[in-house]
Amino acid sequence: MGKKSSFFLIGLALLAIFPLIRPPAYFLSFLFKMFLFIILAESWTLIGGFAGYLSFGHVAFFGIGAYTSSVLFQHFSLSPFIGALPAGGVAALVALIIGYPCLRLKGPYFAVITLCFAFVVDLIVKNWAFLGGSEGIHLKLVQMDIQSSRSIFYEIFLGLVAVTLLYVRRVQHSKFGMGLASIREDEEVAQTLTINTAAVKIKAFIMSAFFPGVAGGIYAYYISYIHPDIVFDINISILIVLMAVFGGGKSWAGPLLGAALLTVVNELLSLFVRPEIARVIYGAMFMGVIIFMPDGMVAFFSRRRRA
Amino acid sequence: MKKKLFIGVLVLFTCFFLSLYAGQQSPVHGAQKPIVIGGSLPLTGTYSATGKWVERGYQLWAEEINGKGGLLGRPVKLIIYDDKSDAKEAVSLIEKVITVDKADLLLGGYPGTACTAVMPVVEKYKMVYVSMGGHMVSFSQGYTYSFGGPPLMGEWWFVGFFEWMKTVPADQRPKRVAIFTMNNPIGVSFMDSIYKGCKETGMEIVIDEKYNLPLTTADTMIMKAKQMKADLLFASGMFPDGVMTIRACKALDYSPKAIAQGIGSVIPEWTKELGKDGDYVFSGTSWHYKLKYPGNDKVIKAAKDKYKEDEPPLYFGFGYAWMQTLQQGVEGAKTLDQTKIRDWLRSHEVKTIAGNFKFDSKGLPKPFAYLTQVIDGNVELIWPPEMRTHAAVYPKPPWK
Amino acid sequence: MFNTAVVIQSIVSGLLMGGIFALFGVGFSLTWGVMKVINIAHAAFGILAAYIAYWGLVLYGVDPILSLIVSLPVLFFAGLLIHRFLIQPITRSKDIVVASMILTFGLAIILENLMLVAWTSDERLITTSYSSKAIFIGEIIIRVSSLLAFCVSILGIAAIYLFLHKTRTGKAVRATWQDPEGAALQGIKLTRVSMIAFGLALASAGAGGVAMAYMYSFNPPAHNLWLIYLFLVVIVGGVGSIIGSALAGLIIGLITGLSGAFFPQQWINVLLFGLLIVILLIKPEGLFKS
Repeated sequence: MGKKSSFFLIGLALLAIFPLIRPPAYFLSFLFKMFLFIILAESWTLIGGFAGYLSFGHVAFFGIGAYTSSVLFQHFSLSPFIGALPAGGVAALVALIIGYPCLRLKGPYFAVITLCFAFVVDLIVKNWAFLGGSEGIHLKLVQMDIQSSRSIFYEIFLGLVAVTLLYVRRVQHSKFGMGLASIREDEEVAQTLTINTAAVKIKAFIMSAFFPGVAGGIYAYYISYIHPDIVFDINISILIVLMAVFGGGKSWAGPLLGAALLTVVNELLSLFVRPEIARVIYGAMFMGVIIFMPDGMVAFFSRRRRA
Repeated sequence: MKKKLFIGVLVLFTCFFLSLYAGQQSPVHGAQKPIVIGGSLPLTGTYSATGKWVERGYQLWAEEINGKGGLLGRPVKLIIYDDKSDAKEAVSLIEKVITVDKADLLLGGYPGTACTAVMPVVEKYKMVYVSMGGHMVSFSQGYTYSFGGPPLMGEWWFVGFFEWMKTVPADQRPKRVAIFTMNNPIGVSFMDSIYKGCKETGMEIVIDEKYNLPLTTADTMIMKAKQMKADLLFASGMFPDGVMTIRACKALDYSPKAIAQGIGSVIPEWTKELGKDGDYVFSGTSWHYKLKYPGNDKVIKAAKDKYKEDEPPLYFGFGYAWMQTLQQGVEGAKTLDQTKIRDWLRSHEVKTIAGNFKFDSKGLPKPFAYLTQVIDGNVELIWPPEMRTHAAVYPKPPWK
Repeated sequence: MFNTAVVIQSIVSGLLMGGIFALFGVGFSLTWGVMKVINIAHAAFGILAAYIAYWGLVLYGVDPILSLIVSLPVLFFAGLLIHRFLIQPITRSKDIVVASMILTFGLAIILENLMLVAWTSDERLITTSYSSKAIFIGEIIIRVSSLLAFCVSILGIAAIYLFLHKTRTGKAVRATWQDPEGAALQGIKLTRVSMIAFGLALASAGAGGVAMAYMYSFNPPAHNLWLIYLFLVVIVGGVGSIIGSALAGLIIGLITGLSGAFFPQQWINVLLFGLLIVILLIKPEGLFKS
């Protein structure tokens, strides 16, 4: 345990001082994007991986966060760095409201209902003039040079990654996490073990919505142009699930690994390979991983070591 | 434990960063070092049908200028990444182009959402960005390095249509207007010129509805329009929904005096795939291959020789025209200094295949829009009169 | 307001459209129900069949319906192969639903981009001699192409229904789906039956894709949009239910058509997905499954 923690801390420290060597801003932006997906995939795994409830609507929480902090910034001049917290709160509240009815559904039905939820939110925002409708919202730019602003966003997201990781790791080894795992293995048995499954599930769902909400709130300021097609992009939902499952959703390390690997591979492919071929390789990669490591990479490698 | 895996990932990361750095350090020096022009386009995914034509327009310009001895005496090299039709990727890639590839100049993106998201970024980097922009809102944010040269302005799209409509005797004009617009930045920005034009020409708007893409059926919309006896139909959509509207008009035998289309009819598939049913549809445009500005002959020839298109598509011309604007900015300023290029562009007129432009403080030329109509499978220019290639077919003949 | 003609017309148009969704979704529902495989690539195979129909029409003047003679067997055998070499290896996974979604998601990306390389992203449209002809019944107008596609749908769904209920293999498919262990005891070979069901589902995707192409333009990325209709049909109709899918398609068509007559267009999709959420909450097993 001690060894692992120090490994984690050293990695974090190295990443934290990275902006000091003033790398090209693209590297900061790229890592920022990777951090975003790590946060999203890690928080998704609370409900999707630990409890086995595949949410395909997680982008909605990200988008709700982005819109909340934008509105707060636009109408109340509240800095998005502070506004990110209420953004996470709103996302969590929405999760609470839709979680109660939705979490009664199981398996693919839950997946589809969350997908529909994401569609509905996207459409409502597009039809709602107060939120900029289908024209989106333009935010005032950050008043500082690009290198510093990219560094600040980078550090904030790095911090959020650390918090999310620590939280998810703690959950995994806590009683709460055991409860989630027993729900995943067999919900009926879990109920007979006097686990209040409904309460455990809703708690996991709320927490898994909170972090994307916060991330969305900050991302809004980063991209400064908020449009439903950008922040409610259904591909984000799908990508989060793929990343978590790719790495292995049952432990905190899986989504981290999946998100980091897929972002790098995706970037390399789009930079160095002819577009259509890059996408074919990308698709083949998913098929390969799922055929040879059906339970994710982390499980595959730990099993091999044990064998 | 999972140590091996983590080490593997670490190695992969290192390789990733090294490979990016390696790409950046090109050993060529001196006068022959190429000018790097970079950007991203949607080459796969939803918007790829249009994105590839922009890319072809860029390449046509690059080949031509390299054949003529290059820009400022140096050859140009294009770096075009695929943003997979995702505006977030477009933002990230433009930063790659600027800070890692150290591009000397930037290429405009597509579609409007991507351009709008990129414009604040290039403003921060103080790099000149010539693109279609994202309609009036995006040009009203106080950005100084973005130019619409020419822009695709929804707000101006139907200006030409109404200018022409004013030449139609008042008693022959349509009286009742039905508007169906897609609910996205392009569709919403169309409304400006439609409302204003209808007011000026004394037409009453009897239906005004938006729809979200993808459209499942157009039958109900057309039934409503028919029921309300609308004799002018604005169907401001993209290709898939545009086709459905037109087919529904024909099937339901709804024949208004005129049908005006958004941007669905500007891609060559409109005439190729829809055939005769696509005839007589009005649309706006910012460029047309029959415009009498020098250079269009080259574009027509390239489209025919290389891509077997008799009519070069709008975005092929767009890509080429944006590069012309950029080229004149560079040649005028005689440097790659971005601020000097910007200042030159702001104070001089540029000559492109889409017209001669002087940019205002927003980076926009004076409002202009051409009116086109599809006649016998050809997209003809109807307005302005001095550019006219064909008389308007009005009122629209009934469906056969 | 609008008179009855508009309402009746909306109903007719909606039903014709819904029938096509039904055929497109029935195979998707079948694989989901029988073998717990959610085939994300279902719509992409529909697009593939639409391309076969398109090129048959453009290059050789073959009617799109006739092109099914080629594309259905091709897709059926493709289905057998895909099941043998891609689906079977993942059946050992603990969660086959998730595994199959990721696998077929990859497959869909591959298929989409191979089609992009082969046929570019140009928008395609099936334009036959009858594509904008219509039949008039009083004030009501029925499009010939929609009617034709609707007939194909009815035939296709009927064929699948009869296959499942009247043939030995079909009965075996149903048996495995209702009670896998019991079926295995009776000596039904699970893998063989699943393979056939998968092939059948892909073939129906092909027929559905051609029917869809009568109504909509398409290019390779369009399968992402078409996929949404599949989920709609399956959830409303109930997973694995053939008749349910058929009725679900009709209902969805009806709602889309009718709501357009009474509500502003921009709220139709909200209404549709909202309704789906309500159905899921009240009757997650679908409206037509007891």
